[in-house]
Amino acid sequence: MLFKILLAIFAVVVMVRVFKQYRAKKVGANWFGFWMIFWVLVIVVSYTPQTTDLIAQVVGVGRGVDLIVYISLPIIFYSIFRLVVRQDQQNKELTDLVRKIAIDNAEKPKN
Amino acid sequence: MKIVAVIPAYNEGGRIGETILDAARFVDAVVVVDDCSKDTTGVEARAHGAHLLTHLVNCGQGAALQTGMDYALKILRAEIVVHFDADGQMRGEEIPMMVKPIVDGQVDVTLGSRFLGKAENIPLARRWMLKAAVVFTYLTSGLWLSDTHNGFRAFSARAARSIRLRQNRMAHASEILDQIGDKKLSYREIPVTIRYTEASLAKGQKTGALFRIVSDLFKSKFIH
Repeated sequence: MLFKILLAIFAVVVMVRVFKQYRAKKVGANWFGFWMIFWVLVIVVSYTPQTTDLIAQVVGVGRGVDLIVYISLPIIFYSIFRLVVRQDQQNKELTDLVRKIAIDNAEKPKN
Repeated sequence: MKIVAVIPAYNEGGRIGETILDAARFVDAVVVVDDCSKDTTGVEARAHGAHLLTHLVNCGQGAALQTGMDYALKILRAEIVVHFDADGQMRGEEIPMMVKPIVDGQVDVTLGSRFLGKAENIPLARRWMLKAAVVFTYLTSGLWLSDTHNGFRAFSARAARSIRLRQNRMAHASEILDQIGDKKLSYREIPVTIRYTEASLAKGQKTGALFRIVSDLFKSKFIH
């Protein structure tokens, strides 16, 4: 029971943060909608885990909880991969920029 | 032939001046790339007559080397580029030995080796780490070298132009060897003396850095 309450509190806190970011125009409407639905589903599933069992049976996985793990792990791994690639790309762009500035502003010896 | 030494430097205040003077006796120009040092590295480099390039953000030694090479080739029209460390570990008087096979047209690249030469005071743990790197390098690049992580290198302009460092941090040492192998550049190891002083040991790669180097290399091989 304690776990469900903590998870629900966490979900609400995240939703408030997402809402604030949406209001500050840091997050677009689509992302805002997606994350709201996602966290509402987290709360629903944590209180009525049997709802996922139905879907699990349809797709041929034993329990709903297992289904969630099977779906979330690949998504998380793929997201990390995407982040690493993007960070690498940004790093490269930053280096190119730093390099160009360094060469354009090179100081030659006076004598 | 126009020979340019490229010295990447990060917080080398107190040492960089002497290094520049040491190298300058044997080259036509010295290029120092100050990788956003927090000390007086830039001021000292300027005062000692080097071409000074400043990174506004700390990008790492590999990135600094690439910046220096770009400048040496495009702006100074270097015919030979020498990589030289800022911390006083290397000897300027060995530069002529490094560039001679390139001047004579025998090879495209020369690589300094501590183990063909007289290494002074290499700690045992570091010696073994360097041996492990020899095997790793052979497996990944096909180059069998006595010393794979030696920063003393010389390139003909053609070789320098064909090398493009993407590894900003310390993994560039392996990346250079990979590219020498890939581009089929001819190379020779030259015995050099590396002085291990307390200051250079404190600043050199810690054994823990090995993990980071391997992970950088892993990323470079599988992501790019």
